[in-house]
Amino acid sequence: MAERVILCIGTKKGLFIAEASKRRQGFALRGPFGAGVDVYAALIDTRGTPRLYASSCNPFFGMKVLRSTDLGKSFKETKSAPEFPKDDGRALANIWSLEAGKNKKDLWCGVEPAALFRSGDGGDSWEMVESISNHAHARQWQPGAGGLCMHTILKDGDRLHLGISTGGHYLSEDAGKTFGPSNEGVGAGFVPDPYPEFGQCVHKIAGHKDAPGRLYMQNHGGWATWDGPGGPRPDIGVLRSDDHGKSWRSIAKGLPSDFGFPIVVHPHDPDTVYVLPLEPSTRTCPDAKPAVWRSENGGDSWKPLKRGLPKKDSFFTVLRDAMDIDELKSPALYFGTTTGQLWIGRDGGEEWECVFDSLPPIHCVKVGVV
Amino acid sequence: MYITVHVPRQLRAYCDGSSTLTLSATSVRAALSELERTYPDLYRGVCDETDSVRRHVNLFVNTSHVRDLNGLETPLRPGDELTILPAVSGG
Repeated sequence: MAERVILCIGTKKGLFIAEASKRRQGFALRGPFGAGVDVYAALIDTRGTPRLYASSCNPFFGMKVLRSTDLGKSFKETKSAPEFPKDDGRALANIWSLEAGKNKKDLWCGVEPAALFRSGDGGDSWEMVESISNHAHARQWQPGAGGLCMHTILKDGDRLHLGISTGGHYLSEDAGKTFGPSNEGVGAGFVPDPYPEFGQCVHKIAGHKDAPGRLYMQNHGGWATWDGPGGPRPDIGVLRSDDHGKSWRSIAKGLPSDFGFPIVVHPHDPDTVYVLPLEPSTRTCPDAKPAVWRSENGGDSWKPLKRGLPKKDSFFTVLRDAMDIDELKSPALYFGTTTGQLWIGRDGGEEWECVFDSLPPIHCVKVGVV
Repeated sequence: MYITVHVPRQLRAYCDGSSTLTLSATSVRAALSELERTYPDLYRGVCDETDSVRRHVNLFVNTSHVRDLNGLETPLRPGDELTILPAVSGG
């Protein structure tokens, strides 16, 4: 069967699947699955027979994990969803991330309140990972505006990087047996200490399989004019690490804003990274003119990619998991907006086109080639 | 000592499609415990891991909200109807 491009689009009203050939023209839309219920996380697992997963976060009746084995033509609930132990005292409020684990049916799941779960059977059963979920810091983490969420799970052999808002970046080097905060150089603007050990409002972390020491982070920026204790904190929003996340340095110079949510790395070039800067006060695009910004030298300089995007009067937000890039030879970027538009940026974001313009508010976008 | 539990449409998949269940219980808490025993997935839709009734789920005994009665300790009499309803919402 010819390769197909599959998009999982998680929205406020359920999960949509869009499918097209490798030419990425004429996407066909299916859904919503889990109709009427927020979907914050999705995973296209291409290990073996492709499986699609999505969270279904029902504020009335609780959280579920949906699974499809037919490329998103149908979904069923897995036999169970992550659940805190009865004596824990915490109750699951949201599912923020789903990632493939080491073995074929292993999955990781990050939730709100911030905790990590693991499944060894494709999501039918889950166990809480004590090392981070009951970390000595865990009860000191504070919720950001989006809740106290574990939104990033990035694996690199036995290393596991976690992004927590607000908790910061936590690193395990023993496959999750132990975790520690790893935030040297990661600033925070909402506490007196500009560089705390932990507690930063990390928005998203991205890496590249061919350069595992290199990581990029979109942190909660927008503190250049802060005049309280500790003084201004310019450029703390976009960061890079070259030592597996042990230390970080700013790469925000040249961007119109260091605030934003998603950060994405080119599939074939670890030096090429994309962000979508937003005004910190409104979480909308600077001057109401959306643009994805690309660096081709690891963040040393940036260039806007805006051909085809609205030139004015555009006030959407792109959330932390709502931008992704496919792995085709000339990859396309995709982002979804809180105003329900799904955009494709062909040729690495050089030329933008609105694929769907009237979806529900979009929480997450994941792309896979299957 | 049988009472009737009315199950909202959204949760019927977790009790074999039934819109009503008949069970024996002398209080709302006992009724929930019985649901947990017989239909654990249905129970999880009503109560979270801390055994608290979910924030946006309302329980009525006959026509009265349990918060206006005696909460989960509200006694049940034979023939009572316990209704599970999602709270009103918009957006």
